[in-house]
Amino acid sequence: MHTYIVTVTAADRVGIVHAVTGAISERGGNIKELSQTVLRGYFTIILAVEFDGPRDPKGIRDAVATRGERFDLNVAVLPDEGRHVDPVPGGDKFILTVLGEDRPGNIHRIAGSLARRGVNIVDLHARTEGPRFSLVMEAFLPPDLKPADLRTELEQFGAEQGLEAYVQHEDIFLATNEPSPVRVGSSRNPEGSDVVVPH
Amino acid sequence: MYRTEDVLATLGMVRHYKLDVRTVTMGIDLQSCASPDVSTLCGLVRDRLLHYAGRLREVCQEVQGRYGIPIVNRRIAVSPIASVAAGHTTEGLLAVARTMDATAEEVGVDLIGGFTAQVQKGWTESEKRLIEALPEVLSTTQRVCSSVNVGTTAAGINMDAIALLGRVLKETAERTRSHDGFGCAKLVIFGNAPTDNPFMAGAFHGSGEPDCVINIGVSGPGVVKAAVEDLVKTAAVRPTLGEIAEEIKSTAFRVTRVGELIGREVAARLGVAFGIVDLSLAPTPQVGDSVGEILQAMGVARLGAPGSTAALALLNDAVKKGGSFASSSVGGLSGAFVAVSEDAALAQAVACGDLTLAKLEAMTAVCSVGLDMIAVPGDTDPETLAALIADEVAIGVINHKTTAVRVIPVPGKAAGERAVFGGLFGEMDILPIHAAGGSTAFVRHGGRIPAPLSSLRN
Repeated sequence: MHTYIVTVTAADRVGIVHAVTGAISERGGNIKELSQTVLRGYFTIILAVEFDGPRDPKGIRDAVATRGERFDLNVAVLPDEGRHVDPVPGGDKFILTVLGEDRPGNIHRIAGSLARRGVNIVDLHARTEGPRFSLVMEAFLPPDLKPADLRTELEQFGAEQGLEAYVQHEDIFLATNEPSPVRVGSSRNPEGSDVVVPH
Repeated sequence: MYRTEDVLATLGMVRHYKLDVRTVTMGIDLQSCASPDVSTLCGLVRDRLLHYAGRLREVCQEVQGRYGIPIVNRRIAVSPIASVAAGHTTEGLLAVARTMDATAEEVGVDLIGGFTAQVQKGWTESEKRLIEALPEVLSTTQRVCSSVNVGTTAAGINMDAIALLGRVLKETAERTRSHDGFGCAKLVIFGNAPTDNPFMAGAFHGSGEPDCVINIGVSGPGVVKAAVEDLVKTAAVRPTLGEIAEEIKSTAFRVTRVGELIGREVAARLGVAFGIVDLSLAPTPQVGDSVGEILQAMGVARLGAPGSTAALALLNDAVKKGGSFASSSVGGLSGAFVAVSEDAALAQAVACGDLTLAKLEAMTAVCSVGLDMIAVPGDTDPETLAALIADEVAIGVINHKTTAVRVIPVPGKAAGERAVFGGLFGEMDILPIHAAGGSTAFVRHGGRIPAPLSSLRN
């Protein structure tokens, strides 16, 4: 099987998903994974599509763009050549929350700090409400990185903006938001003895 | 993918409303330490405490860092010392208490419970000696906590033990006079004592428990208060009490889940059993961390006014329901504590005269745990203290629930004067006891109040 990664952006309208998936179906593609969101009126979707044989990425792109012509779609297609590797082997998923005053460059600085520490962001939502900035991300921490250290670092560089940072294992959110039985993560990070006392 | 709102809702419980794990309490069985030689006994006790609790501090700090939930206290509860040290003299019992105190400090726990006797039906010589040793133990150790179970629904109420405890309270208070009788704050007198309660001062490691177990006491009156306040403020029409109960239940669910997760993680890392999570709304003297404020959010503006008992009953029941849906490992006391000196709003209600001892007693019939952290006049006679205990224990014994008494007769101070215990123990104006001295003869009868009938229950 041959897999292609398709991304589409456009001003949001009713019918875009129908058009995009129709073009893929017509060409015999099977969608294996999909994520779609709308941000400030702009639609974006990313799909992993499987075909039974090789396809020309440009052919897929043109088919999607033509089928959705009235939406003026911006389409890109990449072949999935199976070259991706786990960026943080053995890492655990943590939820990082950063709250504070909205300033240009907040996310850039946070991302830089995370990149230096080998943290891989897999999902990120940020928004501003008036002067307040909030960011929630899912990220894999390397096994040797103490969450308390990361939190301290995030807060240090954002001290002048009054940024608060929280680094919490995802299990706490599963436990408090889902009625399924509480489970304790299988992996164990050697987090040492750092103390985190939330504000 | 997590919804931002869900993440912020959970985080908000910690950031704004003081959600915490109040205590990780390690229960340790000490029965195997029994020895006729006191130094051997103390050596075995120390070794066993170090063996199990040596890494407790380190592991709690790791888990706290992993989940970003503060673990406020680490504690140890041991088997009732009256059994472990059976046959020993008073000196032997004191040696064990000193060993517990020193080892608790060594492993970094602030309190160690289990200097305990269970005498609901009668007492052995050892148990009686332990109770008699309490003034010395509670006034000369820092961390040792004691409890005495004086009644159960199955056995009735041991009035001889209660009479002795009235005298013990007086002497303990006198020996800790410079701290307003604070020694009494480390002694809980129970009816129907739970064997897996993680909260101090009444925690002990009861029979039927494994060698070592992690029990969790999770609190969060601030979280519940915020939930009730939000509901009342944001609802288009005034919410019904049923709707308020539902809100408390769903909040209790989240709080209990936090406790269970932390408990399971700590237990797994230490390689010991996870026991129970006890969701008890335990106040601290901080504003916003008060059970009284929850009742105020429900519309009981003056705590102690008619309606206070009903509101507390609703709260206590909703907390239990939310907790029991969240986890099948709920145990201990699980409800709302009305620990007066530890609760700023309750203490204020006492100070302005709204909340009386009689009303508190009524409220304890529908909540956890009992007359808790209540300062009474220092000249209260031992028989009156005993009668106060007997009343509260009777409420528990008749109603098949746990009740407890933690009263402090403050030496040299009278009703209306201020008693200050400090830290989490708080402060309060001393409550008068109405008709004190009016039941001396009743107490002096001694003996046992028989176990209540369990049929014809109306």
